[in-house]
Amino acid sequence: MKKGQWVLVTMAVLTLAFAADVQAKTYKIASSLAITGPTSDAGAPYAKGMEDYAKYANDQKLLGADTVEMIIRDDQYKTDVTKRNFEEFLSQGISIYLNYSTGSTLALKRDFDEEKMPTLPASFDRTNLVDSTYIFLPITSYSGQCFGLAEYLIKNHKGGGVPKVAMFIHPSAFGRAPVEHLRKGIEAGLLKMEIVEVVEHGQDLDNTAMLQRLQSKGVQYVLCHTVQSPVATLLNDAQRLSLTSKEFGEAGKLTFMGAHYTGGNDLIGLAAAAAEGFFWTTSYKLTSEHKDLAEQQLAIAKKYGRDDKTANSHNYTNGMMVTQVAIEAMRRVKAKNKEITKQTLYEELLAMNGPGAFASFTTVGPVTYSKTDREGVDTLQLYVVKGGVFRSVGPPSLSESYKKLFTN
Amino acid sequence: MAVNRWLATGNYFTSYRDEQRIFQTHLDRTIHVAFLLVLFAWPLVFDPGNKAMLVVDNILIAAIAVLGLNLLTGFAGLISIGHAAFVGVGAYTVASACRVLGDSHPLVTHAWPLMLLAAGGVGAAVGAFVGLPAMRLKHLYLAIATLSFQMIFQWVINFMGFFNQGQTIFVGRVRWFTGTVSRDGHYLFWYYVMLVVVILCGYAVRNLLRTRYGRCLVAVRDNDRAADAMGMHPGLTKVYAFALAGFFAGVAGALHAYVYRGAGFESFTLHHSITYLAMAIVGGLGTLVGSFLGPVAIMLLDLGVEDLSKVAGTVFAGAKNLATAFKPLAFGTVIVLFLMFEPRGIANWWRIARSYLKLWPFRY
Amino acid sequence: MSYFFQLVVSGVVVGSIYALSALGFVLIYKSSRVLNIAHGQLIASGAFITYALAVWVGLPIAVAFFLSMIALFFIAMSVERIFLRRLIGEPIISVIMVTIGLMSILDGLIYLTPFGTYNFSFPEFLPTTPIQAGGVSISWTQLVGVIITALLIGGFSWFFKKSTLGISMRAVSDDQMASMAIGISIPRVFGLAWAAAGFSAAAAGAIIGNITGLNFETLHAFGITVFPVVILGGLDSIFGAVVAGIIMGLIQQFASGYLDGHWGLSGTANLLPYIILLVILLFKPHGLFGIHEIERV
Repeated sequence: MKKGQWVLVTMAVLTLAFAADVQAKTYKIASSLAITGPTSDAGAPYAKGMEDYAKYANDQKLLGADTVEMIIRDDQYKTDVTKRNFEEFLSQGISIYLNYSTGSTLALKRDFDEEKMPTLPASFDRTNLVDSTYIFLPITSYSGQCFGLAEYLIKNHKGGGVPKVAMFIHPSAFGRAPVEHLRKGIEAGLLKMEIVEVVEHGQDLDNTAMLQRLQSKGVQYVLCHTVQSPVATLLNDAQRLSLTSKEFGEAGKLTFMGAHYTGGNDLIGLAAAAAEGFFWTTSYKLTSEHKDLAEQQLAIAKKYGRDDKTANSHNYTNGMMVTQVAIEAMRRVKAKNKEITKQTLYEELLAMNGPGAFASFTTVGPVTYSKTDREGVDTLQLYVVKGGVFRSVGPPSLSESYKKLFTN
Repeated sequence: MAVNRWLATGNYFTSYRDEQRIFQTHLDRTIHVAFLLVLFAWPLVFDPGNKAMLVVDNILIAAIAVLGLNLLTGFAGLISIGHAAFVGVGAYTVASACRVLGDSHPLVTHAWPLMLLAAGGVGAAVGAFVGLPAMRLKHLYLAIATLSFQMIFQWVINFMGFFNQGQTIFVGRVRWFTGTVSRDGHYLFWYYVMLVVVILCGYAVRNLLRTRYGRCLVAVRDNDRAADAMGMHPGLTKVYAFALAGFFAGVAGALHAYVYRGAGFESFTLHHSITYLAMAIVGGLGTLVGSFLGPVAIMLLDLGVEDLSKVAGTVFAGAKNLATAFKPLAFGTVIVLFLMFEPRGIANWWRIARSYLKLWPFRY
Repeated sequence: MSYFFQLVVSGVVVGSIYALSALGFVLIYKSSRVLNIAHGQLIASGAFITYALAVWVGLPIAVAFFLSMIALFFIAMSVERIFLRRLIGEPIISVIMVTIGLMSILDGLIYLTPFGTYNFSFPEFLPTTPIQAGGVSISWTQLVGVIITALLIGGFSWFFKKSTLGISMRAVSDDQMASMAIGISIPRVFGLAWAAAGFSAAAAGAIIGNITGLNFETLHAFGITVFPVVILGGLDSIFGAVVAGIIMGLIQQFASGYLDGHWGLSGTANLLPYIILLVILLFKPHGLFGIHEIERV
C-alpha cells in the first residue's frame, strides 16, 4: 500500500509540474535598430534599456508565470536590413514591434498596416502617424516638442514685436517635418513668431558665417532639431563669438533651444561650458533632476551591470519606457484573461486613456493613446543647463495649439 | 575524326562558327537547362519563408546591378565607385512616376515591364552623361569622378522636394494576369520576374562578348592607343560602356523599388556602391559567372555574420556592441583576403573546378 | 566688412584642417600611387588614441598628442607592410579595393571600442575666451590648430627638400626604376610614406576632435571630403594639397556666408566641393599644382 501511495503522490506531483510548465508562455517583442553605425550613440543605450527592462520584467514576474523574450537586431541604420529583420521577426511570431529610425519607420509604414502589427518607434516624427493606424509614438512628436518650445519662447519674449526664430535641423526626413508643422501653426495664427531662416547643417566645422548671418537678421532664438554633435559644435562656436545670451531672450544674442535628440548628458559632455543656458524639452524625467527615476533606473542599470554613462542616459530611459509600455499592454490583456496577440495588444494600446492612462516612472506625464491620439505622453518638461546639469524649468505642460492643429 | 558533341573535352573546332558557340558540348547545354529548371522549380518544392525570399530577391537585384558593373569595370576597365547612384536613378525613375501619377496608377501597376525598361533607359542616359568625363580621364581620376557623381546624387535626392527629400516614396502593388499580387506572394512573384530578367541579361552579356562591340571593349581595356590605331573610337566605346552599365543598374533599381514597394535615400549610398564593387571583385572581375557568385557570397557572408552576432550576443551577454562590429570587420577581411590571395575571385575556383570535372578522370 | 574678414579667418582655419588631412593622402599617393580610401579611419583613430592617452591614461595633452602621432606612425607603417606590400604591381582596381577593405576593417575595429558608438570630448586645456581683433574672433582651439598645421607642413616641406630620406621619397615618386637603380629601397620608402601619412592623420584627428568633439561618423567622413581637396590641388603635390585645402575652406565659408539663406538654399557648403571636383576633373584634371601628365583619351 505504501508503494502504491508513493506512486500516486509522484504521479500527482508530476502532473501538476507538467501542467504548470505547459501553462507558462513566452511572448516575443522584437526590435531592429542602429547599435553601430549612424546615430548609434543614441541607439546603443536604447538597446540596453530595452534589454534590461525586459529582463527586469521577467525577474519581477510582471506577467506572472509567462516571460517576455526581447529580440534585438542591429541594422546599422540601413532600411533594407530593417525590412529583412522585420520579415524575420514576422516569421518568428512577434506580437509587438519596436522600431528605431525615421527612414525605416516611414518605409515600413504600409507593412505595419498590412500586417496589423502595433509598432512603437524611437522616431517621434509626426509623419509616422499620417496614413497609418498601427504606429504609436511613445511621447509627443518632434513637432509637438517644437511647438512646446515655441510657445515658451513666445510667452517669455521680452520687448515688443514678433520674436524672430531660426531653425537648425538635421538634413534628412528626421529633421524636416517640424518645420512645416511650425509654419502651419504660424499661418493658423496660433504661434505668433516668425521663422527667419531654416538651416540644414552639414558637417560644418565652423558655423561662424551662419551665426553671424542669423544675428544680423535679428534672430533671437534658435530652435534645434538634430542630434547632439552638431548642436555642440554650434554652441561652442556661439560661445566663441560671444553670441550666446546670458539670460533668456537677451536682445542681440541667441538663445538656443532643442528637441528630444539634441540634449541629454552627451550634449553637456560635448559642449561643456558652452552648453550653459541651453533649453531642452522632452517628456522624460532625468536621473540628475528626478529622484524617483534615478532610484529605479540606476538600480536596474546596476543590476544588469551597465556603466554610469549608459545608466544616466535619456536614451536608456527611452528604451526602457517603450518596453514598459509594451509589457504593460500585455499585462492588461492578461488581466482580462484574453490571449496576447497583435490584435488584443492593439486594442489595449488604444484603450490607454482616461482612467486607463498608464503612468510610467520614466516620464513626466501619463501615456495616453486613443483612436485620435497616437502620441503617448503629451506633456513636456522644459529643462535648462545650469551649472553643467539639466534643471527643470516650470511644471510639465501641454501644448494647446499643437493639440488644436494636430489631432489624428 | 568525328567529334562527339556530347563529351568532347578538347579543342576540335573546324570552323569559326564552332569556335563561337556558347555551349561547347551538348552536355554543357543540358546541364545548363536543367539548372535553370531547378531555379524555377525550387520555391514550389521547398517553401521558403518571406525572409529567405527577400534575401534571394536581394541577391538577384544585386546580380543585375553587378552584371552592369562587371561590364564597366571588368571588361572595359573603367573603375566606377558610383554604381549605387545609377541603381538609385532607376529606382527613382519609378518613384518619380509614382509621385507624379500616384502610386496606383495603371502605368505603374499594370505596365510595370514598361517601367522596368524605362528605368533602364533613364539609367543608360545618366550613365552616358556620367561617362562623358571618361573620354578625357583615366583610371584613378575617372574613379574619383564617379565618386563625385555619387555624392552629388545623394545631395540632390536629399535636397529636392520632388524626391520627397530622401524619404520613402511609395510604389504600389503590381497587377499580373491573375490580379493584384498579394502580400503573401509578393516576394515569390518578383523572384520569378527577376529570374527571367537575370537570365535575359546574362545571355545578353554573354553574347555581347561575341559581337564587335564586345571585342572593342576588351581591346580598349587592354591598350586603348592600339585600339585607336585599329580604327575603334576609345572615347565613344567607354561612353557606351557606361551607358550599358547604367541600363543594367537602372533595371536593377526599378526592381528594387518594386520589391521594396518604395524608394528611399538610404538604399543608394556610397556604402552600397562599395558593396557592389566588392561583389564584383569577390565574384571575379571580368567574368560572367562572377557577377552571380559575388552577390551570393557577400549576401551569405552578411547573413552569416548576423547569425554569428546573434549567437555571440547571447553567449557573451552585454557584448552586443562587439558582436555587431563583426559585420564591417568580416566584410573588409573577406575583401582583403580575396585580393591578397585570390585576386581573380570565386570565378577562378569555379573555372578550376569546371576544367577539373571536364577532364575527369583524366588529369590533363 | 568685418563679416568678410571673419569669413576669411574661419575659412583659413577650416582650410588648414583640410590641408592637414589632405597632406597624408597626398603623401601616400605621391610615393606609391595608391588612393588611400581609409584615410578618414586613420584620422579617427588618431583622435581616439589621443583621447585615450589623455583621459584614460592621464597624460598631459601635448604628450598624448605626440604619442598618438608616433602610434599612428607605426600603425600606418604596419598596415602598409601587411596589406599593401603584396599588391605592388597589381592593377589599380585591386589596390583601391584593398584600401576599401581596409576601411571596413578599421571601421569594425573601431566599433569594437566604445569610441565607435559614443561621443566623447577632450578636456578643456585651452582658455575658452576667444581672441578678438577688429571685429574678427578666433578661438584658442582653432588658433592652436592652425599653428600646429603650419608647423607640420613646414616640417614636412623641410623634410622633403633637405633630408636624404625625403629626397629619396621624391625620387621614388618620380621614377621607381631609376630609384631602384641607384639603390633606394622602394618598399622602405612606401612604408615611410604611409607612416608619415599616419603621423599627419593623427594630428588632423586630434585637432578636429578638439573642435567638433569625438564622434566617429563626423571624423571618418573626412576621408571622403578630402577627395575634392586633393584633386583641386593635384594628387601628387604637397604644396597643392595645402593651398587647395585653404581654398576649399574659404570657398565653403563664403558659400555658407553669402549663398545660404538666399533662394531657399541651404547646405551649399557641402555640395560645392563635389561640383568643384567635377569641374576640375573635366577641365584641369591634374589640379592646380599636379605635374603628372594625364593621358587624354
